[in-house]
Amino acid sequence: MPITLLFVCWLSGCGSEKATPSQPTTPEIVYPDYAHIRLLAGSASAENASDSGHGFSTPIATLTADELARHLKGDFHFETSFTTAPNDEHPELDGLGPVFNNQNCNACHQRDGRPATLTVPSGEQRLLLGSNAGIFLRISLDDGDCHQASAENNYCQNTPVPGFGTQLFHRGVLQARDDWQEMPFIGQANVLLSYDYHSVTYRDGETVTLKKPVFSIEAPYDVSTKNSQNSALLASNVRYSPRNGMPIFGLGLLELIAENDILALVDEDDADQDGISGRANWVFDAVKAQAGEILPLSLGRFGWKASTPSVRVQSLGALRGDMGITNPLFPEESIANTAMHESYLARTGFIDTGVDQFGATEASASFADDVVFYAETLAVPARRNINNEQVLSGALLFEQVNCTGCHTPKFTTVSGEAFIGGRPAPEALKNQTIYPFSDMLLHDMGSDLADNRRDFMATGREWKTRPLWGIGLTKTVNPSAGFLHDGRAETIEEAILWHGGEAQNSKADFMALSKTERTALISFVMSL
Amino acid sequence: MQLKKSLVAISLSAIILSACGGGSSTESEPETPVVDNSFSFNASEMITNLTNDVIVSGYMSLSTQAQAFHLTTLTLLNNPSAENLAASQQAWRDVRTPWEQGEAHIFGPVDALSIDPHLDTWPLNTSDLQALLASQSGFTAQQVKAFNDDVQGFHTMEFLLFGDGLTDNEKTIDEMTALEREYLVACAEVFSEYAQALADAWTVAYDANDSNSPAYKELLLSANNDVYASELGVIEELINGMIGIIDEVGNGKIAEPFGTNINTTDTSLVESQYSWNSLADFSDNIQGVQNVYRGEFAGAADKQGIIDFVGAADSALASKIDSQISDAITAINAIAGDNNLPFRQAINDADARIKIQAAIDALSLVQTSFEADVLPLLTKWQSS
Repeated sequence: MPITLLFVCWLSGCGSEKATPSQPTTPEIVYPDYAHIRLLAGSASAENASDSGHGFSTPIATLTADELARHLKGDFHFETSFTTAPNDEHPELDGLGPVFNNQNCNACHQRDGRPATLTVPSGEQRLLLGSNAGIFLRISLDDGDCHQASAENNYCQNTPVPGFGTQLFHRGVLQARDDWQEMPFIGQANVLLSYDYHSVTYRDGETVTLKKPVFSIEAPYDVSTKNSQNSALLASNVRYSPRNGMPIFGLGLLELIAENDILALVDEDDADQDGISGRANWVFDAVKAQAGEILPLSLGRFGWKASTPSVRVQSLGALRGDMGITNPLFPEESIANTAMHESYLARTGFIDTGVDQFGATEASASFADDVVFYAETLAVPARRNINNEQVLSGALLFEQVNCTGCHTPKFTTVSGEAFIGGRPAPEALKNQTIYPFSDMLLHDMGSDLADNRRDFMATGREWKTRPLWGIGLTKTVNPSAGFLHDGRAETIEEAILWHGGEAQNSKADFMALSKTERTALISFVMSL
Repeated sequence: MQLKKSLVAISLSAIILSACGGGSSTESEPETPVVDNSFSFNASEMITNLTNDVIVSGYMSLSTQAQAFHLTTLTLLNNPSAENLAASQQAWRDVRTPWEQGEAHIFGPVDALSIDPHLDTWPLNTSDLQALLASQSGFTAQQVKAFNDDVQGFHTMEFLLFGDGLTDNEKTIDEMTALEREYLVACAEVFSEYAQALADAWTVAYDANDSNSPAYKELLLSANNDVYASELGVIEELINGMIGIIDEVGNGKIAEPFGTNINTTDTSLVESQYSWNSLADFSDNIQGVQNVYRGEFAGAADKQGIIDFVGAADSALASKIDSQISDAITAINAIAGDNNLPFRQAINDADARIKIQAAIDALSLVQTSFEADVLPLLTKWQSS
């Protein structure tokens, strides 16, 4: 470290209380309290892994021995690949698909973080999404906004595309399709990725190029390739929305933020007139439904639009959807009752039905429970460079441009008796002062980020505030990872520049900063 | 000269930190008396050496071996004979060595480019592979590349070369169909392309589609970037990488098939069960740990490795861990015994199980040392 930098740090860090009468006094800088916090999740923070790519992959140190054993089993399962049924050598690992997006959890959450944002080879215009892709498309019919969930409107669940569902599975086992001889290993349709580019220029003349993914769909299974335009998937009222994998550490802590603490931040009509509203998403809760609760609704907390209520629903929904592995919470195949599934079963001898003759699902209860527990109990990486002057001044600017209007720094997790995904919560997750930098609410992020597809009560312009903890380690965990729901932002700066809607003022204020100030603000975010 | 300047910087650093005291302490981190047990070590040479001469060199070797393997499969395709099959089988084992040793540093492009699953997905999708071979022909590398990961890579090629491994690992040339040879060639070509891509990502550009992306090795060599903010991150990466594979070998690859007793073994969980190459895999994994720890491949001239970092803090500890790693390799190699028992048979042999348990225990000792004694050194290290 350069000596000069240390010297400046010394002057700044020691402030006036160390000054002698002969030294000139300077006003003491009051930094936000979080600027000095290194352990963002109290005793649920990770140590000795927070500067490297292992930063997202550490179990919480205060788990009991039994809990740690469960976590480690879940870790193993997280990387377990499933195969086509039947697999006589590994019957416990068959049942993949028949259509899916990837074959194991880690494929979309590499090293428990974000997947690589794919780039298009030079000389080519588009890239076919295959096993490299940690991204898929949600799909549904446009049926207007949903303001109040009830049994009558199916709790605001999205309307499936006939013959397809609410998620497009672009991959498959070998014989997933009728035309598998010509289209081996292809799912419901091919998805191709390309990019549109445009530039943003600061007042000082610096320019940043932004890229926006553009997805196109080809060869849907329901019509012949010559008649693609007649596919239900390509009808004008179908809405698509990309979903990139996201980091999975700290999730149990987010689930244990008291509901009232989140709802206290709701300002749906912008009563305080700060231009920021903040809405809760109330979503169908499969755990409550399975338990027979009359109103199976919960506050949405996870997913890009806060469309799942718990790590359990999120994880097991992904197990069934993204991978096509039925499990005790979701015992039906993702494409059950579609023409594609009926045809597949008839062609392959009704082997891969999702349950065996005893009613057992493809993933056992213990497999499912362990993988959920793993995702609930990964520690939050500690911060880096918290005493760096640039980082500290960046914290001031983070406040100044009101990033904290949505990226709420601090919560405390519940104490006493608490449940997570309907099960008793580990003590290690309770009563922790945490700094996720998210209000866990939905915000209109403007037309540039809009996907124009609602998700339960979230509109086509709303997204949940992403937690910022650990975000500075993103590239360390995966150097090709991108930010935002479709991985479009290569850097934190690009992600900021995509902000709009309720964040428009903050973005404008950020863009009005000097280069030095912008760098400082970003360095603070990178320290998280 | 550089050393002296660094020492001045350390001294100043200590003074300043001391002067500022708990100025940055927080309510969640109460002040505690500071005991100065820090140590100084200039990590640049070690990082440079481990990056260039261990990691990159290993991936170059993987690529070279993969190309050689591909050539043997072409020879086998054009001239199917017992000798050429044996040559391909041996070439497969030869590629396996740098790959398994490289598992001691699974980070960067091997993950980001999904090369690990492309090359080493387990289990094999026997259902789809057999359906493919029963229904199609004219396989090309381009086709296979678009197939799922579980019908290509090491274990698909292993299955084609060695058979199902149930009773032997000696597939005869008569048992190998022309279509299997064709599929093997296509897989080997794809494999070779990925191995080359991995080496290129470390040495040319980590995103082949983005000419502006740096070679991945540069991110380690000049650690002040969005990937590695400092040398601390690089060292932490390397140490945790070693811990990861030691844990995987001891508690996964060996312990899972081994079971809790001789009645709970599971041969289906044995790695490289078709070729019976399991013990070589395990041994190579820990040899990879030794490479990173010592800073050189076995038998090569001494260079700086993690052992020098540890030694700067505690020379006795550095030597102890070096011995523990050697002991672990010896214990794994001892499992085969005089009868050269493969691992999938050894787990069901009472005498061999004692040796397997000894290997698990030896690995546990190394893992404990790294976790309990080496990781804490990261916070005590003062770069110079």
